Amino acid sequence: MDDYKFLFKVVLVGNAGVGKTCLVRRFTQGLFPPGQGATIGVDFMIKTVDVDNEKVKLQIWDTAGQERFRSITQSYYRSAHALILVYDISCQPTFDCLPDWLREIEEYASSKVLRVLVGNKIDREDREIPTHVGEEFAERHNMYFLETSAKEAENVERLFMQIAEDLMKQARSRDLPRYDASTTNINGRTSTVSDSNCCSRFQ
Amino acid sequence: MCFGCCGCCSAFRPRYKRFVDNIFPVYPQDGLVKNNMEKLTFYALSSPEKLDRIGEYMYQRAARDIYRRRYGFVIIAMEAMDQLLLACHAPALNLFVESFLKMVQKLLESTEPELQILATQSFVKFANIEEDTPSYHRRYDFFVSKFSAMCHSSEGDQIRIAGIKGLQAVVRKTVSDDLVENIWEPVHMDKIVPSLLFNMQNARFLNNEAKEVIPEDQTDPPMLAETCLRELVGRASFGHIRAVLKPVLKHFDLHKLWAPEDNPNNNEFAIHTFRIIMFSIQAQYSYTVVETLVAHLDDNAKSSPIIRTSISGVLSKIIAIAAGESVGPMVLEIINSLLCHLRDSVKHGTSMTEEKQYQDALINALGEFANHLPDYQKIEIMMFIMSKIPFPLVDNHTPADNLLQSILLKSLLKVGTKYQTIHLNSTFPVSFLEPLLRMSLAPDPEMRLLVQKILHTLLDRHQNLEKLTKPTVNVSKLNLVLEKSSRPDLIFINKHGPIIYDALYTTLQMDSNTPDNVEAVYTTLALLCVELASAETVIDLLQLVLGIQSLALNSTTLSTSQKFNLHALVISLLVLIPSVVTIPPLLEYANQIVEARTQEAPHLLPDLMVHYPQDSEVANKVPHLLVDQMAVCENLKSGGIDPSRLAQTSPYGAGGPGVVIGGQRNSWIETARGSVIDINAPPEVDSVSSSPGVQRKMVEEELTFESMKKVLTESVEIRKEAEARRRKQLSDTFRTATFSELVRRTQPKHDVLQNKLNEIFKSLSANDRRNPTEEKKIEKPAYEQNFPELFFY
Repeated sequence: MDDYKFLFKVVLVGNAGVGKTCLVRRFTQGLFPPGQGATIGVDFMIKTVDVDNEKVKLQIWDTAGQERFRSITQSYYRSAHALILVYDISCQPTFDCLPDWLREIEEYASSKVLRVLVGNKIDREDREIPTHVGEEFAERHNMYFLETSAKEAENVERLFMQIAEDLMKQARSRDLPRYDASTTNINGRTSTVSDSNCCSRFQ
Repeated sequence: MCFGCCGCCSAFRPRYKRFVDNIFPVYPQDGLVKNNMEKLTFYALSSPEKLDRIGEYMYQRAARDIYRRRYGFVIIAMEAMDQLLLACHAPALNLFVESFLKMVQKLLESTEPELQILATQSFVKFANIEEDTPSYHRRYDFFVSKFSAMCHSSEGDQIRIAGIKGLQAVVRKTVSDDLVENIWEPVHMDKIVPSLLFNMQNARFLNNEAKEVIPEDQTDPPMLAETCLRELVGRASFGHIRAVLKPVLKHFDLHKLWAPEDNPNNNEFAIHTFRIIMFSIQAQYSYTVVETLVAHLDDNAKSSPIIRTSISGVLSKIIAIAAGESVGPMVLEIINSLLCHLRDSVKHGTSMTEEKQYQDALINALGEFANHLPDYQKIEIMMFIMSKIPFPLVDNHTPADNLLQSILLKSLLKVGTKYQTIHLNSTFPVSFLEPLLRMSLAPDPEMRLLVQKILHTLLDRHQNLEKLTKPTVNVSKLNLVLEKSSRPDLIFINKHGPIIYDALYTTLQMDSNTPDNVEAVYTTLALLCVELASAETVIDLLQLVLGIQSLALNSTTLSTSQKFNLHALVISLLVLIPSVVTIPPLLEYANQIVEARTQEAPHLLPDLMVHYPQDSEVANKVPHLLVDQMAVCENLKSGGIDPSRLAQTSPYGAGGPGVVIGGQRNSWIETARGSVIDINAPPEVDSVSSSPGVQRKMVEEELTFESMKKVLTESVEIRKEAEARRRKQLSDTFRTATFSELVRRTQPKHDVLQNKLNEIFKSLSANDRRNPTEEKKIEKPAYEQNFPELFFY
């Protein structure tokens, strides 16, 4: 029911048509909408997952990739706990835009936000970005990396669960102040939860 | 008490839970059990400490129902909560509200549009309740985020309407309460404002496609969004205006709304939006919008001219709304900024039509702005613009400078048209009049025309301008509006008349004048005459008129048709002056000349033409058709005006040597160099000769004097040399040659001399009436003709 322990806001960003909405819908509704139109503005989905027998509620904000909506989408980065930066492995331009996106994230999002790079559409035959290229890019920019397919439901669940776990660890480390903050090493990265209101706890 | 339906187990449950359970029917379609709802309400009112538990329990039930997709019960639960919220005003409401908002959030989180709409409605109801206890910990960011997202929904208008209403409610709820979240934070504004704009703009596009679909009620998204925006802007205090404007500008940039792709010249939406902002903003802050927009123009300096045109177009549309409220320093700042943009535009934008449109838009904005300022500020602005005009005094001016000059003059004209002159001396402070008159001598005829137009619009107080645009001899048909000129005006013209007349006279000497220029000068003079009609000023005017006539007769540089134009101007003024000041004898005299000219020389009458018939006779040959100074004097005397001043000396042509020398020298330079580069000298000389009160630049005066002296001395030496040589040659010839040869030689030489003399006398034939003391003056042109190369100093 509704006794979730943590609430995390996850925002998906990336060029138009890389499959952000499909990833979200695959995860929240378990379906792959074939003729998904372009998102207008921002879309919102919610999913509660279990991590270590704790309920974690994920608020997933799915933003429009089109540039004209940038004004509204940018405003959503700010309160995010995790940002999923998506590109299309079969489309070089979507990968080339990643530095621009990172710049935007730097500018608008909290500096401690959890960032994940996702190469989507691995079901496609015409791959243009080899896995190691994405990996290297992610490593260089201190991000997690995962390749997914919303169509084949590959790695989608894993992606969001991983985020939920990491965010929970972050939240816990802050929750238990007797541990030194620097010892909470998550996959080689030191992170603390960005601001006080990031985890809303109920009951 | 036993409320039966749940059987015995219900007896063990807490009382409030039993009350809550009982409001739900067995089948959701039956709706809320009203009876039991009343009981619950009564219970909640009588024991308010239980309210928070009731709320919590209801929320839990609803959450379970949502999870199980029993939406009917969810709707009932929400309805019950609404009722409880409205019914209870206890301080305990604070805790209940927590559950209530959790409930609303829960509903909003569901994917069911129906529940989202329901939740919004409840939220709106909640927002309308005034709470008496502050809630420090309550946060609305989810609501702002969610409602903004709903505003973009593609699932239909209903969700969007709900989103807009939700935003409106959040704004209402938070704006009035300082203790809750600050809605003006950019975090929120960046979401709210684009969402509203998106809806406004979106529906506008739809409207374009299908206009016949008339919104049946007030609740179509664009209308609603507009209302919401108005409310938002209206509530914004000074510190918050920028928070609202920034996302607006950003949204416009990103959505390319300044110049929509399908129709780049249609910036209606931008204008519409900014008008909304201007009208709903608190009046004292309205200039901030203008300021922000001007700043945005700065930011867009590198954007395409279309976008800049659009922004300045918007500016010109809204600037009027702000101008009334704007305060002193702001005005000049805005004007300065607009002028800077103009200058930049002139500098790098060459002759692109778009750039030109942009300039026009800027000028329009300037004009609009000035239009709505009080008059004293208009003068200030005109002086300010004047000070920005690069003067032609600078020798090395570029075409860009020229363009800038004319553009600034255009802006000046625009401002001037909006100005209502009351007293001439307040309209024309010396610091404004002087540069303006100096501009009236610009080498470019277009620019001179502009200056005259500025003078027209500023002089005309009685809407006579229209009637006086063309010279005419039928003054009675014009129906001029006359008013006796006031004392300050007369003082003004007495003080500044000379420099004005001088400037006009000098303008007429320019050989690049078109009939338009001459007409414009006529209009200026006519307006001066009409506006300042009095016996005192009439002499000055007549002096000028006679001066112009002698210019037309004597000038060596003006073309024949230009001279004809001047004659037409002279006669038109001569008719106009006595009809305005009422001097019947003079009017009669003027009409006589008109009549005579109609018969014998119609080309000396208006209208002005560029080309006259080949057989038109030069005015010099028909002296009886000219205006005679003596006749004018006599007629004046019989009209009761003392003509002694007119009879004595005239600063123009007939009297002051300085003017004519200056004028001729100037015109000579014109012919020699093909263009007037050095036109600064003549007006200076004019000012020297006729307006002692006017300041002038010493350096230039010295230069003029020095150079003249040089010319004179040089020419004398050379002449002497030449004479000596000739004498030597002559004596040699006479000594060596035979008599017959001498005769043969002297014969043609004599002819040549005769011819030369004839030529000189012919060119100076008009000067023969002048008194002999002017020999020096006559000398000079003769030298010029004989030794032109010597004058390249």
